[in-house]
Amino acid sequence: MTDYSSGLLLGAFTGLLLVFSTQAEAARPYINDKKAPENRHDLEVIQKHLTETLPTTRKATVCIDLGEGSGSGVVVSADGLILTAAHVTSGVGKEFTVIFEDGKKVKAESLGLVSTSDCAMARITEAGTYPHVEIDRDDSAQLGDWVYSLGHSGGFDKERGVNVRLGRLVQVKDDTFQSDCSLIGGDSGGPLFDLNGKLIGIHSRVGQRTQENMHVPVREFLKNWEALQKSEFVGEGPFAKKPEKGKGFLGIGTEARAEGGLSVDKVGRESPAEKAGLKSGDILLKMDGVDLKSKQQFQDMLKEKAPDDRVALELLRNGKTETLTLRLGER
Amino acid sequence: MLLATGVSAPAQTLETTYRTNGATVQAAFEPVRVVLQECSAVIQRGRKEIAYGTVMSADGFILTKASEIGDGSGLTILIGDKSYSSPELVSTDPAWDVALLKIAADGLKPVALALDQPDPARGTWVIANGATTRTTRRPQVGIIAATAREIPHAGGPVLGVSFEEKGKKLVVTEVAEKSGAATAGVEKDDVLLMANGEKITSTEVLGEIVNKHHVGDQLALTVERKGTKVEMKVELKGRVDVFGEELTRNDAMSGRFSERRSGFPRVIQHDIIADRQRIGGPVLDLDGRCLGMNIARANRCETFAIPASDLKSIADRLMSQAK
Repeated sequence: MTDYSSGLLLGAFTGLLLVFSTQAEAARPYINDKKAPENRHDLEVIQKHLTETLPTTRKATVCIDLGEGSGSGVVVSADGLILTAAHVTSGVGKEFTVIFEDGKKVKAESLGLVSTSDCAMARITEAGTYPHVEIDRDDSAQLGDWVYSLGHSGGFDKERGVNVRLGRLVQVKDDTFQSDCSLIGGDSGGPLFDLNGKLIGIHSRVGQRTQENMHVPVREFLKNWEALQKSEFVGEGPFAKKPEKGKGFLGIGTEARAEGGLSVDKVGRESPAEKAGLKSGDILLKMDGVDLKSKQQFQDMLKEKAPDDRVALELLRNGKTETLTLRLGER
Repeated sequence: MLLATGVSAPAQTLETTYRTNGATVQAAFEPVRVVLQECSAVIQRGRKEIAYGTVMSADGFILTKASEIGDGSGLTILIGDKSYSSPELVSTDPAWDVALLKIAADGLKPVALALDQPDPARGTWVIANGATTRTTRRPQVGIIAATAREIPHAGGPVLGVSFEEKGKKLVVTEVAEKSGAATAGVEKDDVLLMANGEKITSTEVLGEIVNKHHVGDQLALTVERKGTKVEMKVELKGRVDVFGEELTRNDAMSGRFSERRSGFPRVIQHDIIADRQRIGGPVLDLDGRCLGMNIARANRCETFAIPASDLKSIADRLMSQAK
């Protein structure tokens, strides 16, 4: 997973160019090439970079409201592509609400994730033009660079707004950055920026000591960009668990009919079936385009499904056929 | 390119001295540290540092965090390289959790409050007290992290009673010891009838009435006790103060945060991780002007300070009570 050939990188860049227009490069701040700031002017330069880039980076930093708990994320394209952490989305095709700093709420769904390094992508499902940031496509971040973290620490707080913390990159590994920007729950999936306001990493996890704050470098995202866009679940853990086949849950009882199809005789309370609007008395004709002939056949087909999988049910209700698409729950 | 081959590169690590609060980086703040040396106070009980203080006047008035110093007895205060024993605890402001101390001194250099400006913007450098020795104040540095705001009492206001709904009546089953209800004399088996003139018909209705208020407000409560109506005034207290606090996962990773970390009329927030016993000192900008006084370490990444303008009114009020 940590292999990193130039070929792969090139592929990722090509993918990226489809999404982003090329822009003039902001110069690398000289302060990053000093071992440490030496005087007032050096400190003011850091402060100036922060105060000038923050208005843009704050606007693109979102709270990902999961109902139980929350994480953060950052919008990286005008049409609402979001980068976040795999342990925030925790799966492919999950629906959630995204909250911008000004309180604007929009619906979003998760695309792919890399479960081994904690990358995930999501997209806003409501059409619109969204504030977004630029990714450090040149992979230019280096050990010692001054960086800042944004996030909706501890959840969305309109009065407080986005929380910013300043630090330096204190450890650089192939698949992890460590900074001394202190992170806390709710920051997960939030963005780490360089002094030019370019996205260089996504918050992942912390150690017991306040200096231990880990971020996924954006190169991990770039490397897996296509898979992320195609809603693939990459790798096996530890940051997300693959849904297990056979654990998908619909929540209905059926009886086979002599004339074909299955009649629904029970719909479980709060079940995915009930939420999708299935009713007792409906006749199921097809699942995912396949004619339903027996209970056994229907159960066998469901056994091939995992939680969060989508199924399309064609049904007969009041003499009319209609199709319901719903997402399975977990058994 | 980090790697030309498939072999993992060894981790590169930044030496401690070059980290954000490493000695070499802090050296760039030396002019501000010199100011900090004069206008901050170290408050000790015995040999133990228990809080810091902010020097408000040349003749020895010092503000600190009230809940960290208890009854103010047995304290020693270090300012600059001098030590002052047995300061007087002049007065306290419970709403802000601020105490005013007085030592016999003259010629101190009080903080220069930054009063002529709006709230400091996110990204503004701040400098506050770090570790100390008997003669030297060390700084800790960070930035303004969020929007200035009120921090409501954690959990919001509560009456402090448990009850069960019987029909449309709420019958008290328990009165919390530290609650305003206990002080006002609410008893088990009382039926809660009216609050501020409104009929209490359900748990939701009572909740709505209480939530319209702030911690510290008085609620006019009418109860029925053995067939008689009893009227009383109940002070609403903070949920956490009455029922205690359940530690969250975020608290568990937050080290030594302040016991009182909510219920402040207005704060500015920064990202310096000040241990609980380092709260109470000034927060300075690059000019050495005082942007505020640290009042709570809230958690691993959030520290609150009372803004300069509010600090001035608190100081004026408490100092006038002293004279």
